[in-house]
Amino acid sequence: METLSTATELEWLGWTFYAGSAGLVLLGCYALFAARHALRLLLGLFLLESGVNLFLVAVGFRPDAAAPILVGEQAGSMVDPLPQALILTAIVIGVGVLALGLALAVRVAKEEGTLDLAELGRRLAATHTPATAEETLPQSGRTETP
Amino acid sequence: MLTSRPRWPALLFILGLALLLTALLRDLHFGNAPMQVGQAINGVAAHETGAANVVASVLLAYRGLDTLGELAILFAAATGAGLVLGIAFRNGNGEAQAKTNTEPPAGFILRKGADLMFPFLLILGAYVILHGHLTPGGGFQGGAILAAAFFVPQLARPSSPFNERTAHWVEALAGASFVLIGIAGLAGAGWFLAPLLGTGSVGELLSAGSIPLLQLAIGLKVGSELAGLMIALHGPKET
Amino acid sequence: MNASVLMIALPLLAAFLLPLTGPLARWVGPFAAALNIALGISLWQTVAQEGPSVVVMGGFAAPLGIVFRVDTLAVLFATALAALVLILWPRTSADPRRESALLLILLAAGCGLAFSGDLFNLFVFYELIAVASYGLVAASRERLAAAAGLRYLVLSALGSAFALLGIGLVYALAGTLNLADLSRHADALNSPLGLAAFALMLLGFGVKAELFPVNAWVAEVYSTATARTTALLAGGVSKLALLIVLHLVLLVYAQPAALSLLLTLGLLSIVSGQFAGYRAADLPRMLAYSSIAQLGMIAAAFSVSGEAGVLAGLALALHHLIVKPALFLVGDGWPKCVDSLAGLGRAEPWRAALFVLLALSLLGIPPLPGFWAKLLLLKALLGMGEPAWNLAAAVVLLGTAIEGAYLLRVLQTLFRGTTNAKPATFGGALPAGVLGVALLLVMLAATPVGGALQRAAQQAADVPAYVADTLGGSPQ
Repeated sequence: METLSTATELEWLGWTFYAGSAGLVLLGCYALFAARHALRLLLGLFLLESGVNLFLVAVGFRPDAAAPILVGEQAGSMVDPLPQALILTAIVIGVGVLALGLALAVRVAKEEGTLDLAELGRRLAATHTPATAEETLPQSGRTETP
Repeated sequence: MLTSRPRWPALLFILGLALLLTALLRDLHFGNAPMQVGQAINGVAAHETGAANVVASVLLAYRGLDTLGELAILFAAATGAGLVLGIAFRNGNGEAQAKTNTEPPAGFILRKGADLMFPFLLILGAYVILHGHLTPGGGFQGGAILAAAFFVPQLARPSSPFNERTAHWVEALAGASFVLIGIAGLAGAGWFLAPLLGTGSVGELLSAGSIPLLQLAIGLKVGSELAGLMIALHGPKET
Repeated sequence: MNASVLMIALPLLAAFLLPLTGPLARWVGPFAAALNIALGISLWQTVAQEGPSVVVMGGFAAPLGIVFRVDTLAVLFATALAALVLILWPRTSADPRRESALLLILLAAGCGLAFSGDLFNLFVFYELIAVASYGLVAASRERLAAAAGLRYLVLSALGSAFALLGIGLVYALAGTLNLADLSRHADALNSPLGLAAFALMLLGFGVKAELFPVNAWVAEVYSTATARTTALLAGGVSKLALLIVLHLVLLVYAQPAALSLLLTLGLLSIVSGQFAGYRAADLPRMLAYSSIAQLGMIAAAFSVSGEAGVLAGLALALHHLIVKPALFLVGDGWPKCVDSLAGLGRAEPWRAALFVLLALSLLGIPPLPGFWAKLLLLKALLGMGEPAWNLAAAVVLLGTAIEGAYLLRVLQTLFRGTTNAKPATFGGALPAGVLGVALLLVMLAATPVGGALQRAAQQAADVPAYVADTLGGSPQ
């Protein structure tokens, strides 16, 4: 990699990395707070995780250092290998969670006909208003609405 | 409608979060993190594990337990997806099943392209897995390529057979061999997942002791797992 | 000491090989859980004789490699989880093989959470237990179980991303992930950025620990998942998540700001949980909200620095680990709506009596163990001698009063009137009975149990020994 001549360049590079990761995190958070459709939420999660991973890689950065792979008898400094290993793990975890989320979404769509999580939340909250037929006793006035 | 929720509270929240993040990140000096552990590992990794790729030695030697956990997560996700989809497709109405099965086959170019790609993807996957301790890559990346090799033909020809039984066997044995290599380390060197078989000379294909073996186990496990997951998500089969 | 590693490796091995075991598949899981209990007991004896020790993965000493810290507290939780998994093993299930695999993974991940001394490794095991629990929750045939699971997954994944961001910040600030090493560099984290990292991790790990802002999933999931899954999540998994928080607070974030944050979240959990429990009209939800409040109490106990807090939290956690699963099991099969429980006290006297016993202990009625746990909590909170913690003691008392109001409402309903419904099958009779007997045994053996807990808390709170054990022989 090319050497960084000045401290300013390093600073600019840093803010680019930070802005990129913070931007992805914010975009993901926005999707999670504004969207209601399960697939959008899962995509938002993916953006959020990408932002976090980019941040982790940025943490390991060192000016004028090479990738952490030994080639021949090189003696120069290398960037931090640990965050790279961590995000490799984190990416795989993210993929697993995403796949399971999609599988759940398939089942929910088949059973409920909607993927609007707010609507599903309302249906879940409504299940505790008693509707079973076997209840013969008169209700005392205790069943509040949520 | 899904988009009817007013957006300004979310926007306002994001704006606040952005300000907070900016304020916090000002204190974090880029390119200047302490990275004590990272530097220490950079210094001793090649000598201790024999792998030229330091990231691979972190993944499989220094933090091998994380990688075992990661494999287990993928396995749990695939198992969970199988469980959920099994219930979904069993309860699902016949109409939905019929729809997935009448998917039209892809055109000539896609089918031939998929057939042509298959051997190359296999070779590339194997190469990436086996050189994981020397170059960027390794079990996870190579495994993903292997999974693609088996999944692409499925996309091109939805009716073509996918031998799930073999996939299960590969998956189970690969996962078990990772754990067994770990236990062999426990028996041989006294520590779980201890590197075995010496280090060899750094940079050679046959070096880094048991790390390439672990890479192979991961590659096969991830490959069969991902292929199985994608095929499960693709829809039920009549086989 | 390597038994601690086998407690993770063997269940994982069993889970991986489960698809190949054919007709033996249904015995593999319980056998692995029983084996874990045996390993746990042998570890317990070793720790009692030789004191805590450290297991190094792959021979790479801390802080470069991952280490396990084997002490009384960790062994206690790992063994308790294995016992809980064994007695809650499902007898019937929609897909026994897959469900067994997920339970085995949950078991392995739980042991990892108990033993691991590395922040990122804890995160990996936390995610592992989370993924296993999504599958188990959605395995229920109840309507909307998958919907609850999906909502749970989204919230939990959001939390995990935050936790990972927090861990990244910690690494950026201190340059290490080993908890003992972080303890030496705790000063580097004593800044707004370090506190932000703690808050992020608290949000992330708080999802499973049912802490205040991230516990919206609890009632939905517990009212739709199968009773055994619910029992496992409420009883076992939540405690292990709180154990991570305990390690963070003890070793890394002993600073007052972090403790106040944890106390605040704990108190908000207590207040919100108890009020929601009071308003709940159906039994599983009421128990779920009560579980939020109980975990809030444990969090409040862990916010007390030093041995007293650990002891109180430990007692509350173990008590809740026995009582809440049993309550969920007893309630399973009864009508969900509290008002339709009327008359069941006469129709099913033994089951109702068990419910009464458990509910009274949860509430903290004197001879029962719940009383001692709550007493320890109040003593610990008042022992801090600071206004916020004194206020916390008042909040705990207020919470208990509300808890009493709604639990007694249920008990009263049980023994009011008669029912003409025929007795429902009590599917969870055996596990609930075992847990009930365990509770009585603890009550009878209060003195030795208290002594053992005291030793565990003492060991866990001894930070210098922890750091010396872990990093003692390592260069640096």
